[in-house]
Amino acid sequence: MKRALGPLAFGLLLLGGWELAVRLGDVPAYILPGPAAIVAALWANVGDLASSLAVTLEVTLAALALAALSGALIAILLAQSPLAERIFFPYAVFLQVTPIVTVAPFVIIWVENVFAVLLILAWMAAIFPIISNTLLGLKSVDANLKDLFRLYGATRAQTVRRLLIPAALPYFLGGLRIAGGLALIGTVVAEMVAGTSGTRSGLASRLVEASYRLELAVALACFFLLSATGLVLYLVLDAVSRRLLRHWHESARTPA
Amino acid sequence: MTGPALRLTGAAKTYPTGTVALAPASFEIARSSFVSLVGPSGCGKSTLLRLLAGLLAPSEGEVSRGADISETGFVFQDATLMPWANVRANVALPLTLKGKSEERVPDTLRRVGLEGFAQAYPRELSGGMQMRASIARAIVTSPQLLLMDEPFAALDEFTRFRLNDDLLALWQQNQWTVVFVTHSIREAVFLSQRVIVMSPRPGRVIADVAIDLPERRDEALRGSHVFADRCAKIGALLRGAMTGEAA
Repeated sequence: MKRALGPLAFGLLLLGGWELAVRLGDVPAYILPGPAAIVAALWANVGDLASSLAVTLEVTLAALALAALSGALIAILLAQSPLAERIFFPYAVFLQVTPIVTVAPFVIIWVENVFAVLLILAWMAAIFPIISNTLLGLKSVDANLKDLFRLYGATRAQTVRRLLIPAALPYFLGGLRIAGGLALIGTVVAEMVAGTSGTRSGLASRLVEASYRLELAVALACFFLLSATGLVLYLVLDAVSRRLLRHWHESARTPA
Repeated sequence: MTGPALRLTGAAKTYPTGTVALAPASFEIARSSFVSLVGPSGCGKSTLLRLLAGLLAPSEGEVSRGADISETGFVFQDATLMPWANVRANVALPLTLKGKSEERVPDTLRRVGLEGFAQAYPRELSGGMQMRASIARAIVTSPQLLLMDEPFAALDEFTRFRLNDDLLALWQQNQWTVVFVTHSIREAVFLSQRVIVMSPRPGRVIADVAIDLPERRDEALRGSHVFADRCAKIGALLRGAMTGEAA
């Protein structure tokens, strides 16, 4: 708790300075509203923004879950043979280096359901660190332990389940923490490009919409909500990682 | 069952890179004997052990084992425990992989002096205790053959002596066939009935020495004249091989 005191004090100082500057400078609210106005806008639209947050969160979490599952599975398959890795891994890299904004227009044309569009784009943004980290973990398994499993006649399934998966878990979780942030970024970018989906619009499309109407206080409220979502997502994934590794991995011992 | 536990017939290992890890070797290892492979690094002793374990296939010659030798225990230089599993699960691994009952685990832990540590995780144990867990895992199946690859090399001398004593006691109770790799001549002589001496570049067997020391081996033996004499003899063999190579 004490460690949070410094950053918290700095944040409050920053917000105070901002509020003061806006009031003293008489800055119009459509250029830059102060923190108080943003909080007021958040409060006035709380139900609305909460349901938008739910939409964004739904897409982000679904994309993250999908990326975690498919990414781990792809990594396990690629780890089965160096040939498979040589053939397919470049395409995973291709997926990673392609800016998803440029893919969005095509996905929007090919896929009708807006939720599916958002999901696909966020999944694309999130999957790479999972594949590459998990693959690294699978390839870093102690060679002697592998020999031991061979000596004791372990089947391939047993080796995967009881040796490869636990050994790669810390790497996978490291990838998952990065993927959490990327899934949110992917969702936001997808919402901005794909626009609103009828009645249900996410926080990022609300942000764009509000900025078009020069309701900057609402737009900034969306902005801060998205930042907070990213932060909470990271903290949750970090806590999950520590919990799963607490007995045995060095990373679970040191403070974040 | 008669016949040796293990037999090498001109077995050799050359890696695809052309490196000769082991020149053709032929010898037998008798049932229930304790045999050490000793030599400096690069002499092929670990390669030889892996051939005996079946973890490597010889590039020429043949390695065969007695038909009744089904269970093999292997101990590496590092304890090679699964860090995510507690001592109990680590020791039970050879059993659980085969779907066998784990009822032998507590008794095995007691025999290696790890009673009360079943729930501990490897990182909570000292190096010596991790090695005890590793030995427990190797013997939990009551293997007919125990292969050990410099198991105590990374431990301090006190811990090593204690583990040597405990290992000998276990061997005398159980009549396993043990092949023990070490770079310590003293350790090899202390433990073994027979020492196979190896030399590097290329890795090869240069001598096969029976150790005619009493069955009972204890601290007194370590300080005795006869023990020093056997060590000196093997040291001379190794030095001879090494200087011959340098000339």
